[in-house]
Amino acid sequence: MTIFSLALTVLLGILAFVLFFHVSNFFLDYFGKRSSKIFKLENSIRVIIFIAPAFIVLFVFIIYPVFETIRLSFYDKIGREFLGWSNYAWAIKDPDFRRSILNNFGWLLIVPTLSTFFGLVIANLADRVWWGTIAKSIIFMPMAISFVGAGVIWKFIYDYRGPEQEQIGLLNAIVVALGFEPQAWLTIPIWNNLFLMAIMIWIQTGLALVIFSAALRSIPSETLDAARIDGASELKIFWSIIIPYLQQTILVIWTIITILVLKVFDIIYAMTNGQWQTEVLANLMYDWMFRGGGDSGRGSVLAFCIMIGVIPILGWNLYQHRKDQKV
Amino acid sequence: MKLIKLIISVLTLSIFTSSFGNASSAYTGPDLSGESLTILGPWMAPEDESFRDVISIFENATGATVEYGGSDEFEQIINIDCQAGSPPDIAVFPQPGLAANIAATGCLKPLGPDVKKLVSDNYAAAQSWIDLATYKSENNTNKFYGVFYRVNVKSLVWYSPDNFEDNGYEIPTTMEGLIALTEQMASDGNTPWCIGLGSGGATGWPATDWMEDVMLRSYPPFVYDNWVSNELKFNDQKILDAMDFFGSFALNDSYVNGGAKAVATTDFRDSPNGLFSSPAECMMHRQASFIPAFFPEGLEAGVDYDFFYFPAFAEKDLGKPVLGGGTVLTATNQNRVTTEFMKFLMHPEAHERFMEKGGFLTPHIGVDTGKYASDTFRSLHEVLQNATTFRFDGSDLMPGWVGAGSFWTGMVDYTNGKSAKEVADAIQASWIAGQ
Amino acid sequence: MIKKFSISSIFAQLLLLIFVFVWIAPTFGLFISSLRDKDVLAISGWWTSFTTTDVNEIYRTKGMEAQIEEDGYFIIKDKVFEEGSGKIISRFGITSKNIDEFEVGEIAVFKDGSEISIDEEGNYFWRSKDKFTKKKGKRIFVSATSPPSFTLDNYKEVLLREGLGQAFINTFAVAIPSTLIPLIICSFFAYSLTWMRFFGRDLLLATVIAALVVPLQMSLIPILSIYNDVGDLFGVAAKSFPGIWMAHTGFGLASTTFLLWNFLKSLPNEMMEAARVDGATHYDTFIKIVVPLSIPAFASIFILQFLWVWNDLLVGLVFLDKHPSEIILTAKLKELLGSRGENWEILTTGAFISMSVPLLIFFSLQKYFIRGLVAGSVKG
Repeated sequence: MTIFSLALTVLLGILAFVLFFHVSNFFLDYFGKRSSKIFKLENSIRVIIFIAPAFIVLFVFIIYPVFETIRLSFYDKIGREFLGWSNYAWAIKDPDFRRSILNNFGWLLIVPTLSTFFGLVIANLADRVWWGTIAKSIIFMPMAISFVGAGVIWKFIYDYRGPEQEQIGLLNAIVVALGFEPQAWLTIPIWNNLFLMAIMIWIQTGLALVIFSAALRSIPSETLDAARIDGASELKIFWSIIIPYLQQTILVIWTIITILVLKVFDIIYAMTNGQWQTEVLANLMYDWMFRGGGDSGRGSVLAFCIMIGVIPILGWNLYQHRKDQKV
Repeated sequence: MKLIKLIISVLTLSIFTSSFGNASSAYTGPDLSGESLTILGPWMAPEDESFRDVISIFENATGATVEYGGSDEFEQIINIDCQAGSPPDIAVFPQPGLAANIAATGCLKPLGPDVKKLVSDNYAAAQSWIDLATYKSENNTNKFYGVFYRVNVKSLVWYSPDNFEDNGYEIPTTMEGLIALTEQMASDGNTPWCIGLGSGGATGWPATDWMEDVMLRSYPPFVYDNWVSNELKFNDQKILDAMDFFGSFALNDSYVNGGAKAVATTDFRDSPNGLFSSPAECMMHRQASFIPAFFPEGLEAGVDYDFFYFPAFAEKDLGKPVLGGGTVLTATNQNRVTTEFMKFLMHPEAHERFMEKGGFLTPHIGVDTGKYASDTFRSLHEVLQNATTFRFDGSDLMPGWVGAGSFWTGMVDYTNGKSAKEVADAIQASWIAGQ
Repeated sequence: MIKKFSISSIFAQLLLLIFVFVWIAPTFGLFISSLRDKDVLAISGWWTSFTTTDVNEIYRTKGMEAQIEEDGYFIIKDKVFEEGSGKIISRFGITSKNIDEFEVGEIAVFKDGSEISIDEEGNYFWRSKDKFTKKKGKRIFVSATSPPSFTLDNYKEVLLREGLGQAFINTFAVAIPSTLIPLIICSFFAYSLTWMRFFGRDLLLATVIAALVVPLQMSLIPILSIYNDVGDLFGVAAKSFPGIWMAHTGFGLASTTFLLWNFLKSLPNEMMEAARVDGATHYDTFIKIVVPLSIPAFASIFILQFLWVWNDLLVGLVFLDKHPSEIILTAKLKELLGSRGENWEILTTGAFISMSVPLLIFFSLQKYFIRGLVAGSVKG
């Protein structure tokens, strides 16, 4: 396609949606004034106009695949033979599945907590120095890097060469300079998970940071000044004033990152491919879905397990929502 | 009357020779202007450009448009496209095992008897190539599905002739000699082997090649065949012994560059560098014929590097087995343009064009070997044609979840210290579990 | 805020500095790697390129074709280094078993009696009484110091690659609608979830939040099947630009709606009430009041969704074809990387080139970004 025709398609595509809303609302108003029957239904029709496109998209792209997934989890690898619960039974007995659950737990405990904590601390620190914006931009930068890029970056950190050879990985170079033996970091069981988590924390802290840094602005400066005049140390202010004030924010960020961690796939895929006991559910699902002809039955079971992990988070969010209903 | 007879005999003769693929004739095809074809394969830079060049022969001769797209996520993409109903017209499978899995889903369509005849007429050891492309259809009947194009030889050891000369090493012609040479190198203070298994999501596959070569040299070919079909269980003692033989090289810190720990973490593309470094980090590297593409730039075949045949045990008397692999091209429909392209692939010109670019080997008996990019390739061609036993890469023949899954990861575990029995038991369990 | 010059403040600056340093080190390493010569990338750490390093290299002399006759001897001479490499040889050797046997300037004798010498700058001089008869030259092993050197060759190699410009354009053609369309659809949707009453609203909200966790890979096949069926029905291609826009809209719907909903919740009741009293319809309220107030939120979500779409690889592979007219940047870079994984220089350079656009957009939208996302998760 030429650039011109491409640009035209882009323009038309976006215009189509803008026009949908504008034109349908226009007609609703128009006919609403003319016919009393329509006027009575006006509210309902307006709701339908507002939610219809999103609802259709939601249904086709999310709800339908979810039901397909659940359906497929009861069938064989190509979706033809009904197998009942046997795929689930397999999962419970499978050692890889158990290890993935364990690993995911580890990820869920460590990554959201640390990312949120670091984001909060750095937001505070950056707020107090003149070069804060630069600092914030640097911490945010990893979010702009694709996972493929992040994989290469950290390869140059974790790389391992034999003891007599020159190290090209930063971590081993430091270790060797300090007089120790280089290690194949990503192959050490248990520890390798932590090294992988470091990558995700490196990326997600930026997200936490940015949200916190704006949230900090909304704390009334009088409160902070008063505390300072009273002689409270910065640390005390941090713990006793700032954190309680940001409670809501902390929990929202923690939610977002937790959901991202539930789905984490690319980092492990690029760095270890689930080897050396680093499997997580998403990688296991990918392996079963797409390797060797594919087994959609087992892949779907794993997808389902990932999805039910959201239930506690869902519950909490709805509970909060009930508390501050608007309308 | 005489004239007619003459004309008929000339016509017959020309048809006869052209159907035999005379090396000097160019490809001509039917008029397919306006038709188009999509091909999906695993070849990326720089092989994809070479392949596109080959495609242009077809395009120019028939007027059809052909698009090739490559992906290193080939396995995933072909799965998705087949299941969703939008596969490419032609799919290039890097592993017959995967092709068999996909054929069983009904996504591939069998090739006609005319294509099959072209293979049996033109390929050395044609029956093997036909068997390797025969899979069970979705109705559980055996059908012929693919044409092998671009093959490689795997039973090779790469080395630097200069380094061998400097140290006074001779090329071993028996496995016993190779073992002795390894010991000799180690006691001289050199490191004998460079072994690297890293390959992203496919980490572990080079070790499976080692295993297969060892199996072929340790037991008669039928044992290999039974192993690949699981008639011989993966945790049979024969296979454990083969694994430990591999381990006698790979797990010995003084035999392998970087020590046993580095084997699984060194990328297979980086590991041959040890042959060419100063001081040399290793003396030998066992790898397939496509590895020179990853050597440092500027090195010349035959001058800076060469290969010798990975030898067989003299005392076992099993001849000269050769392990090889290749890509098989399959069709997902039986359109005219698709079938014509498959026939085009059997024409010598389709092979010769790629041969000129390097990185290409073929079992086609009708090609002009003068067109190979270097003597090294000509020698490889000879190896291919002269093997007493030829077997296809086993892991490529095993079911996908083993051959492109647990076998790979199992070998990585083995180099990390797990016992052969543990590893083999796990692989055998996974073989059954995936069925 | 009172600016104090205190221990606590110095401590804070130090701590922040540590964080920044740790955070930027990995990316910095990548950046330096992209400026290095490709041959050294897999051999030495990127930090070595700042200092003069010791290198061991092997060169091959020219062979018999290059010989000349001079003073009764046969001579082959040449320079091993490229112009301007700046390398200085200290020692050399003629066999792999002893790579630094000789000092530079010394004369080494081969087994066949010919002599060779090499100077600091890499000019070698090889002479023999008898004619050279081998095409293949001999190897010289040099130990040299190599000055810091950087090169733009990698960037040239990637940027001037055929099809890269088109890939850039294609990615824009995917990213812009895939960001704007969700914004349009989801803003109406989020508005209705916050400010309109209707049956099933809470259930719909719960569904949106639950949808946040649906893994991408599960949706690929069902959706592509639908596309194929629709495509067959209407005779259009299943893989097309509008197709991928809707796919990205689908995958981004949950998070976009969630964030917008969070923001809209924070708008004051009174404003809405006042508008209603004035007789404005929901649509008018939305267009005239809510949208202008939400620009910060829109900008923030724009950059997040744009980031995600721009860096995406999988969706682009599945819903678009790989031929040059449709391939996206991430796929193109992966293609260049290709079977030659040795091309670390393409990876490093490609990652930076690809990162440049989202970063640019991020910096230009900085002011909105901070103010936007926040409101809604913050009280007051």
